[in-house]
Amino acid sequence: MEARPRSIAIDLRADHIAFYYDRYLVEADGHVRVRTSDGMTLTGDAFSMDLKLNRFLISSHVHLRSPGGSLDGAAVSDFLDFDRIYFVPLISEPDRWTYENDDFTHPLKGRVMPGDVFYFPDVSSTRVSLSAASARIQARQYVRFAGVHAYFLNQGVPLPSYYVYFGESQDLAVNSLSGANLDATWNATGNANSITAWHLRYDAFNHTYLAFEQHLAGTDPHEYAVFSVNPATKDDKYWNLVTGEHIGSKFEVNTFTQLYTFQNFLAEPSIASAQTTYVTMTQALHRSYLQALFDQTDYKLIDSPVDSAEPNHPNFLALTATSYNNQIFKTPFYEQIREEIGFNHDAYGLQDYGGFEYTTIWNHLLGFTITLPNVKIGDRTNQYREYSLNASLDSSRQWLTVPHHVNSQTTSISLSRQYSRYVNSYLSYTVANTSDLYEQGGYEPYEPLLPNGAFYAPFAAFRGASTLRTATLATTYSASPNLVTTVTFAHHQDFPAAYPGLFVPPPLNAIGQYTYTNYLGQPPWQLTGEVRARILPHLVVDLQRTYYFHFGNQIWSPSFVVQLSQ
Amino acid sequence: MKMHMRLGALLAALILLAAAAPLSVTGQLLAYQDGFVFFTTGDGFRLAPNVAILDDETKTPSKVQPVARDYARAVFNDAGQIVEIDLSRKPLPVGPFPDTVHAFAVTASTPYPNPDLGAPELTSSNGVKETFSGKPVLVKFQVQVPASTPLNAQVFIATDASGWNPQAIQMDRVDALHFVAVRRMASGTILHFLYTRGTLQTEEVGPNGLSLRPHQLVVTDSDTNNTNNVIAAWADASASNLLSQPSVFPTPYNPAPFPNLPNGTRTPHP
Repeated sequence: MEARPRSIAIDLRADHIAFYYDRYLVEADGHVRVRTSDGMTLTGDAFSMDLKLNRFLISSHVHLRSPGGSLDGAAVSDFLDFDRIYFVPLISEPDRWTYENDDFTHPLKGRVMPGDVFYFPDVSSTRVSLSAASARIQARQYVRFAGVHAYFLNQGVPLPSYYVYFGESQDLAVNSLSGANLDATWNATGNANSITAWHLRYDAFNHTYLAFEQHLAGTDPHEYAVFSVNPATKDDKYWNLVTGEHIGSKFEVNTFTQLYTFQNFLAEPSIASAQTTYVTMTQALHRSYLQALFDQTDYKLIDSPVDSAEPNHPNFLALTATSYNNQIFKTPFYEQIREEIGFNHDAYGLQDYGGFEYTTIWNHLLGFTITLPNVKIGDRTNQYREYSLNASLDSSRQWLTVPHHVNSQTTSISLSRQYSRYVNSYLSYTVANTSDLYEQGGYEPYEPLLPNGAFYAPFAAFRGASTLRTATLATTYSASPNLVTTVTFAHHQDFPAAYPGLFVPPPLNAIGQYTYTNYLGQPPWQLTGEVRARILPHLVVDLQRTYYFHFGNQIWSPSFVVQLSQ
Repeated sequence: MKMHMRLGALLAALILLAAAAPLSVTGQLLAYQDGFVFFTTGDGFRLAPNVAILDDETKTPSKVQPVARDYARAVFNDAGQIVEIDLSRKPLPVGPFPDTVHAFAVTASTPYPNPDLGAPELTSSNGVKETFSGKPVLVKFQVQVPASTPLNAQVFIATDASGWNPQAIQMDRVDALHFVAVRRMASGTILHFLYTRGTLQTEEVGPNGLSLRPHQLVVTDSDTNNTNNVIAAWADASASNLLSQPSVFPTPYNPAPFPNLPNGTRTPHP
């Protein structure tokens, strides 16, 4: 059957319309009335549409009005992707007609139909996600319901409308909000090029709040814009704008802009402390690409006495060339190289060195990565007895106009095994070396003060070079796709060595995770447990916490990381 | 001998009963109108003038008329007309009718073959027939991530079956470079998907640094569908391999590559 998709819109009205979110089914009963954008009007008693298969069925007391005239029948089924309409007319006796390619004047009478054209889906084991009074369905794009009752834990919540996007392009769904423990999204309205959404969110920092998001997308790939305000109902507000655009087939621009204001709803902001804009431009080349990353941040946009920030405008630009990941001859190794030139600028000063305040610092970076992926060891005939060896080495050196250079090298090796369909483990060892080497001087010995008032002498050995060694043993037990348990044991042996209270831990993000991962002072022994379970067809709960084996006064990680997702 | 005679008599009685039993089928109703009843097979059968509408459980007259979606048992007379419809609240077997019943279906035109249905069966690259019955099958996603991916990074799959929620399917790390997720999906599903680190701004990009069109997976009837992908780079990766976080304000320029030295550490000097 040759595919010739029709992109049509379907307006549906009925006494009762139900939507099954987990199966993308729209089922309607009672006084069904359908109008399609290509000129058909259909009425009947029952309607069924599988949005993913892109076909719909109307049955019982069907009246079909098409460019070919008006007819009564028992059922009609429209396979939109294949441009075939299967009709059971009932003139004096039933018959079977097939309309091909919108030709309503020449029905193919008696042609055998596929066996399942008039089948209703079995929804006996599926719960209704929402009911509605009407729906507009844009084939292969979206469905927008009106007069909605959305069901959560069997409770119906009345909503004026609800929009569901199921298109094949991700552009209309690009998200501009930061993470949250819980995000219940109400796509209030939308069409093929826009979505207006409200988010009811919860995180440990802001607690419960609303966020607003407006998505826009063009018809070409990677052509989108997203605007949001998050949280919209708290005084601390982040206004975000994300855009993306393909120009030609080898060039792409992406931007991210954020404005922070402190204001009660839309009252005049008392603080507008900062605005930042990232622009990334990527040009594809032969087996490599060139990327320019620019950032401009403007602090203290309003001269507020309560805002102590300097009104500076730091910016940076980095131009990077990156090669493909190339196989090294016919060995199992792959290599990738990169080079970067760029600068940082801040009129208020970036670094004081030797009594001179640098306001612009240029840098130049060379780096490479060698990867050894997926080398099989052991019994190759039995997947539950073979081991998988993976290794990588990443090394770079960055030269800066302040006379120093930074060497970074990360080496990682792991051995993993799938013991059964349900259990797998891996053992990995990672060494991250970083050294900051000045042509003259540099880091001088220092004995920091501990919380108990004593000086910590071992830190005096730190002269600008660190080594973070991490050994990890992790096991995942997946009883079913809906229940996954992971236990991860990690041992850190670092230099400078961790000591309770010596290093400032990284800030936490909104869901309780550290904002960066390679940092000094990690508790040497860590045991992390994670359970992820699907508790409803469209709700997954993920629970995670780390035990620190009484490292100083740290027994557990700051809080449970709880995430509820669809 | 007596025993054999008894068994023979029982068999003969059963054969007579079976021969006398009226022909019946079960299915789901498509329509009940104008003197015909239609099943979801598309077949329409003529109703006898005195057709009885019964409750399948109690065999008493039904209080409701047949409507679309009802499950029912239809009993035929010798003329091929339906004389009894037993409505059931529970699903009954639905499927193609035997030829003896199919012969009773009323159709004005003479059936003729459909060339659409004569298309060759699809086969996989190794020649195995690919069928799509709709049954739930396991789908295993395995992906190799760039070496720069942080050790505690979370990797997800965003799909068109979840409105491109960037955290729709969470994957589990199985070694230094690989993540795996297993899901149960209906055979025949055509899934479009992308790997992300939690947002579509941290999605995978192609080896040329440009954003990707989603991968496509067609789920077949085989016991396990495996898909293996390699992520060339993340959209937010930079040359120094410190993944920037565009959802937070940039931290002030730090000349030292150590983000959290102890308080009081002197800055480098000549």
